[in-house]
Amino acid sequence: MKLNIIQQRGLWWAISGALVLASLVAMAISWQQFGAPLRPGLDFAGGTRLQLTRACAVTDTCTDGIDLGQVRQVLGQQGLDSSSLQVLGDEQQVLSVRSRNLDVDERTALQAALDEAIGPFDNSSTQIDTVGPVIGQQLLVSGLLALLVSFAGIVAYLSLRFKLDYAILAILALAHDVIITCGVFALLGLLLGIEVDSLFIVSLLTIVGFSVNDTVVIYDRVRENLKLNPGSHINDVVDSAVNQTLTRSINTSLTTILPLLAIFIFGGQTLKYFALALILGFVAGSYSSIFVASSLLALWRERTGQAYSGEPDDAAPQPETQA
Amino acid sequence: MALTIAAVVIITQLPTRLGLDLRGGSQLTIQVLPTEAHPTITERDLETVKSVVEGRVNGLGVSEAVVQVVGNNQLLVQLPGVSDPQQAERVLGGTAQLEFRAQRAGTEQQLQIENQILQGHLGELAALQAALPQGLAIEPETQTRIDRLQADIAGSEAAIADLFEPSTLGGDQLTDAIAGTDSAGRWVVSIRFNNEGGNEFAEITRAIAGTGRGIGIFLDNRLLSAPQVNVQYAETGITGGGAEISGSFNAQSANELAIQLRGGALPLPVEVVENRTVGPTLGRDSIQRSLYAGLAGLVLVLVFMAVYYRLPGLLANIALIVYALLTWAAFNLLGVTLTLPGIAGFILSIGMAVDANVLIFERTREELRSDKTLYRSVESGFFRAFSSILDGNVTTLISCLALFYFGAGLVRGFALTLGIGVLISMFTALTCTRTLMFLAISLPQFRRPSLFCPGLDPARPNPVRP
Repeated sequence: MKLNIIQQRGLWWAISGALVLASLVAMAISWQQFGAPLRPGLDFAGGTRLQLTRACAVTDTCTDGIDLGQVRQVLGQQGLDSSSLQVLGDEQQVLSVRSRNLDVDERTALQAALDEAIGPFDNSSTQIDTVGPVIGQQLLVSGLLALLVSFAGIVAYLSLRFKLDYAILAILALAHDVIITCGVFALLGLLLGIEVDSLFIVSLLTIVGFSVNDTVVIYDRVRENLKLNPGSHINDVVDSAVNQTLTRSINTSLTTILPLLAIFIFGGQTLKYFALALILGFVAGSYSSIFVASSLLALWRERTGQAYSGEPDDAAPQPETQA
Repeated sequence: MALTIAAVVIITQLPTRLGLDLRGGSQLTIQVLPTEAHPTITERDLETVKSVVEGRVNGLGVSEAVVQVVGNNQLLVQLPGVSDPQQAERVLGGTAQLEFRAQRAGTEQQLQIENQILQGHLGELAALQAALPQGLAIEPETQTRIDRLQADIAGSEAAIADLFEPSTLGGDQLTDAIAGTDSAGRWVVSIRFNNEGGNEFAEITRAIAGTGRGIGIFLDNRLLSAPQVNVQYAETGITGGGAEISGSFNAQSANELAIQLRGGALPLPVEVVENRTVGPTLGRDSIQRSLYAGLAGLVLVLVFMAVYYRLPGLLANIALIVYALLTWAAFNLLGVTLTLPGIAGFILSIGMAVDANVLIFERTREELRSDKTLYRSVESGFFRAFSSILDGNVTTLISCLALFYFGAGLVRGFALTLGIGVLISMFTALTCTRTLMFLAISLPQFRRPSLFCPGLDPARPNPVRP
């Protein structure tokens, strides 16, 4: 297999551009609906989530799945009509209620009422999450801060090890991956009501790490090829670097995505969408490293008049270099 | 080799610490709220509130409970295996209630007896909790015994509280409590009241001075201390708004009482702003499912490596297993608390470890295709792949550092396991795989390039055996 990255770069950029645009549109629509680019989960919006599992082993009340109409009635009596409800689990025996912030007494009352109406529930598999608005803010701010700082750290490291232009383009590729992942989740939020929690920020950060890793491997090869053949055009250098690392890119993506797929399909509820975010981000990351970051580097070098030189201080001819 | 054996020993000897999301339990974040009278919260305030909260946590009787100061106005309370999160939240969420009460007449003996009973219960509970296995779910029978003891303790405490007259002298009138030594060098706790409190204190002390009854100091309705008042104060009570509590204190116990008193005097309300409770079986389910999924993914990766990369792939698989063991041992050794995202971080670090091997083998194949000898190819495969591996891993580590430094809770767990995993994966890829590879090519039966790169032109400088 041999890819002609440079020749078809218009196509690759069009694909990426369209995906980024679609993602931004999805986030904009989501902004209008929820006041945030993604549907904010409990961790960021605050509130209380109760997840109750019917005690099927004890009683034989669970011949059918949980009836949401009945649950709504109970919630109505408690003055919690605006809560969102979900029935989960293979046999529809898990009830998840997300409501405004409830204090202990309100929560106890709700639990007792639900237990009476559709229970009994198994206490040992109950999950309670209450997040106050202060904590939600903290989680969001600390998460975004971590994201920005790692961007800055990566730029600093890459400009130290490579050059500033490599670093800037790597970050551009990164932003591409992050935006597309967010876009898909914005869409999932709009269509399926999937929310993002603090684990989503973790997944974005991991995507950053992996995507940079991918880009760095190709850049590393570009740098090496430039040193070996100082006379050849940057387009050829980039093309061969991408092709030399292509098997590695595919194999690595495959081996990291395999365990993630396993978690997405078979893992616990909590990690399902975490794994999905990572899969999306890694696929976007592989794509952007191969097709976008490398071709942008070639374009950049061409435009700044460094098409024939890896190192500006090399003895190789440099027609119009200013820097 | 020795490292691997050490790792296995560590895994079997040291327990893996599981986070509350995996073993079940409650994690509460408590915010200390400023008031008009007390607009800023100092470090000393947080410390005293922490001691109040610790006292309440002890009252809940949860083993291995942790109370930590987070940021500059929050406390994080972890209660593993708590059976009644409602009660826990209720108990931890109130403002501290300090009260000075005079002992009722004729209850001297009763107090002694009740106190002995209480101490008996507390001792039994402490012994029971000390014997609990660390980091594991508590057995149902033990849990029932703990629950019963807690009920008994609560009963004794209520009975003791009944032996004292309610009063209106409380924490809001106490201005300070300091541990120090008196002129004879004994440890005492000095307390000071405001004017109003001083008068009330004088009245209470006058009533019981010289009677052998004590003045009960209650924090959250639990008796902290019941000092007696000397007969010389029978006329006027202790006036002047201050007093010294002496007794068999040492530096530590005096300090403890002073902090508890200050905690009670602190009019800072606290609020539970976050509660994450996971039932014990729910935690077990999610750990099992994710573990199985992760293992299944890992097996697929191992199969892929062996099929695609042949002999080096097999060697890399051995290195990967060594890697997994070393990382697990490092978690246990460093006391990393494994949470669900932590497991995800671990699985991802396996991906990084595989990537390092893939980079090396691809390079080796390239060198073989350009007609280098096997030894040279393997050598330069490692050499050439190194800078890619280094750069890739360092950038991941930078993300981990940012996550660990700025992230909270679960995010930190993820960053920690991924970071440790990345460090160890670099080590194993560069040492373990390398050693195995050179060991293999030193054996003649393995010295066939086709074992390293299938589809290679058989007319090689290396001898091919039939």
